Amino acid sequence: MTALVYLEQTDGAVDEPSLQAATMASSLGGGAEVHAVVAADTAALAPAGQLPVDAVQVAVHEAFGSYAPLAVAEAVVELAGRLGATCVVGPGTERGNEVLAHVAALLDLPLAANCVAVADADARVTRVRWGGSLLEEARVDAPTLLLTVQPHAVAAEPGAGDPPSVETFTPTLSEAALALRVVERVAAATGGVSLADARVVVSGGRGAGSEEGFAPIEELAELLEAAVGCSRAVTMAGWRPHTDQVGQTGTKIAPEIYIACGISGATQHMAGCKGAKRILAINADREAPILQSADYAVIGDLHEVVPAISAAIRAARSG
Amino acid sequence: MSTALSAVALLAALAVATALFARRAHLLYRIVRLGKPTDRSGDLGRRTKAEATVVLGQRKLLQRIVPGLVHAFVFWGFIVLAPTIVMALLGAVDADWTFPWLGHQGWYFLLVDLFCVLVLVGVVSAFGIRKVQRPARFEGSHLREADVILGLIALIVTTLLGWHATQIALGLNEWPAGWSPVSDALSGLFGDGEATEAFERAFVWLHVLTILVFLVYLPYSKHLHIATAGINVWFGRTRARGRLEPLDFEIEDESALRLGAGTLVDMTWKQMLDTMSCTECGRCQDVCPAWATGKDLSPKLLIMGLRDRLFAEGPAVLGGGEATALVPGAVTDEVVWDCVTCGACVHECPVSIEHVDHVVDLRRHLVMSESRFPTEAGTMLRDVGRSSNPWGKAQSERAAWADGLDVRVLEPGDPAPEILYWVGCAASFDERARATARATATLLLHAGLDVAILGPRESCTGDPARRMGDEFTFQEQARQNVGTLGDAGVTRIVTSCPHCFNTLGNEYGDFGGDYEVVHHTELLAELLADGRLQPPVGEEAITYHDSCYLARHNDVLAAPREIVSRIGRPLEMARSGKRTFCCGAGGAHMWMEERGSAINEERAREAAATGADTLAVACPFCTMMLDDGVKQTGGELRVADVAVLLAEALERV
Repeated sequence: MTALVYLEQTDGAVDEPSLQAATMASSLGGGAEVHAVVAADTAALAPAGQLPVDAVQVAVHEAFGSYAPLAVAEAVVELAGRLGATCVVGPGTERGNEVLAHVAALLDLPLAANCVAVADADARVTRVRWGGSLLEEARVDAPTLLLTVQPHAVAAEPGAGDPPSVETFTPTLSEAALALRVVERVAAATGGVSLADARVVVSGGRGAGSEEGFAPIEELAELLEAAVGCSRAVTMAGWRPHTDQVGQTGTKIAPEIYIACGISGATQHMAGCKGAKRILAINADREAPILQSADYAVIGDLHEVVPAISAAIRAARSG
Repeated sequence: MSTALSAVALLAALAVATALFARRAHLLYRIVRLGKPTDRSGDLGRRTKAEATVVLGQRKLLQRIVPGLVHAFVFWGFIVLAPTIVMALLGAVDADWTFPWLGHQGWYFLLVDLFCVLVLVGVVSAFGIRKVQRPARFEGSHLREADVILGLIALIVTTLLGWHATQIALGLNEWPAGWSPVSDALSGLFGDGEATEAFERAFVWLHVLTILVFLVYLPYSKHLHIATAGINVWFGRTRARGRLEPLDFEIEDESALRLGAGTLVDMTWKQMLDTMSCTECGRCQDVCPAWATGKDLSPKLLIMGLRDRLFAEGPAVLGGGEATALVPGAVTDEVVWDCVTCGACVHECPVSIEHVDHVVDLRRHLVMSESRFPTEAGTMLRDVGRSSNPWGKAQSERAAWADGLDVRVLEPGDPAPEILYWVGCAASFDERARATARATATLLLHAGLDVAILGPRESCTGDPARRMGDEFTFQEQARQNVGTLGDAGVTRIVTSCPHCFNTLGNEYGDFGGDYEVVHHTELLAELLADGRLQPPVGEEAITYHDSCYLARHNDVLAAPREIVSRIGRPLEMARSGKRTFCCGAGGAHMWMEERGSAINEERAREAAATGADTLAVACPFCTMMLDDGVKQTGGELRVADVAVLLAEALERV
């Protein structure tokens, strides 16, 4: 039998998840021949050095210079057909899953995504479901086994012996595959700090009172180079977009310090900020549940307390 | 026409009508036979009672008195008038023929006249409701079909009256005319000449032919319910209303493994029959909290969508064709996820349609076969399985609410308590809901009960996962908890959470866990009645909000009200008891983002309208939702659990 593994590479070096996929592919079927395929816009980008595969085929086409998952999939399907591959493996990355999904659609076969273990004798796979909460054991009923390998499921092995042979080929691509063109690349919005990664988060709750009531919170956040968050009540009231919501059903945050202003601290909110190292609660209500979880608390109206903090920071910095 | 010729004509008409009816009926029967099995056998007593009350007694319809009476008049009229169909068939053949015995009974013809009038009153009122009043519950219903049916009913009854009137005018009546006041009065319009003889023939034939047209039209229209509703009520659920039918993952035959409803062939035969019983009256839509707050879900449109799909694809599937996905083909994803499983629709439905079971089966397929659900709820599903509670809190914190209280935490090997307090995740972890746990435990200890908690060994019952459609996670939780409770020798349980109450009491039996389960309001009401708790009389105006899973699903109505009336002045909301309005958290909506306007705000406004100072609740989720609702609507109401209010009253002694 022959296995074909699709490799992703960055600047001529094979990515780690792809090496792991190749390692798993080479463990299949006891000495099966393993071919690797990479897609590149010039033959110069062929991977060098040792790989846990027997041969490398470089599909060369100008379309591979940018984002072209369907085109890559057609190249993989063409090569798999030529090799008579009984198994096609890819890395369980976003791109790898996308390419293999296209392969599955082209061949009209099922795809087992994000596998952590494979017993190819009876095509039994164990794969991750629900963001890692569930391991599913399944049997794939198909003439060609299509799967992607969950990153970090196996340790990548460099491969022993001689480096694999490298050949290039030009795949025949359909018009449909070339219809998709990258017109422009836009970097992710850099305005402000991303909530999930922020080291400091300043949030407002119902106590902010209105959309405009967030002005002092935004001011403080700017001074601290912090991200602005909010509670579910604020999103429900339409004062802030859902992308700003901190909570179990919103963004989960893990900052060094979380400053929660006018937030009562409902369980669903606290489930979203339990990763915070320190919580400072500013709340007018001495009975607010958030005080049970806060490391520091100021009892008072956020509209007085927050501007006072901002003023103190400014004074300290200028002095 | 001679008798023989009339007989031939009638038989021909009967044959055509019966053939057309049977052809359609046979197709519908074959479609229902496609359905997956569901056990609706046994419980003959309950089924008979349902037929007697829901069908014959029109109990559900009469929940709305005016449209209920309108329907009841027509329905009862049809039962009373049924023998006149045979009389008319005989009379159509020969004007001198009638039914033996009954055709001579004056009292029967008095009833016939009375119900002819009542049916006509019903039809006219029904037109009035539909054309003048135009209630919102008809939005999306097929109104023209109803007009045709009402017209046919009116024609059947007026031709019957006309026939009887001309019979009396011609002296053909075999019963004393004096018993038929209406027909007798109408007979004055006719002479006894040939013209009347012709009218007599025309009325009876028009009557018979209208009935046959009605018969044929029936199975092709939504008024199919006349044939199916009685059957659907008979096969309705007889076990606890709050219980969901478990899926069997251990089933030997893998092809019979059912993971909810993906296409129509996954629906149970009862679900198929449900769709054929719906007559689009919209009572469900009228009480649905999702629909009331501008969401896509209407239980009526959901059932209609499934029915349309069943009729569109059913014949092809019978011929060996493939069925396509129900979601989003028949209903959209949004509709499936809008449901709070409050069961208001099921409670309202006059023909025993089980809407919630449809929704849960659609969810089961989406969650377990396609991993397709509102992403924000994914954390909850993961945390229920991994952290044993839906918020991912540390289990070691589970008994933290009891710090400083003398509550026994049951260790492995300890003797079983008289009653186990199953606290539930919300009252264990949520700051606001913890007050309920503290008050309940304090009261039970104060009354001298031998009560204990499981502490860190208590785990989520799995209810939110189950209502989300994640039956797999639910069953894992159920088996684990049944094991823990069995090892601890627990036989009697008191819960604070109506969802735990429902799951432990109604659903764990399917997994080998049989306990006597009471809600804390029931136990506290018992202690009040025994005199073991004696609060002073209070004057505070309190309105009590019924939790769906207590009131509607489990009939717990009186106990919380007894407590409220002992400690304050009770005020009822417009929607209360079994017709309560959800707080918005059910069906795992505690862990989903809400679309449209907020259900909890709607309910908070309704509570405020009573003029009460306090909104009493008996569910930790209702506590959180309604407290938020009151704050969001700028209300002044204090939201507190009945147990908290009782404990405070006792402190005042």
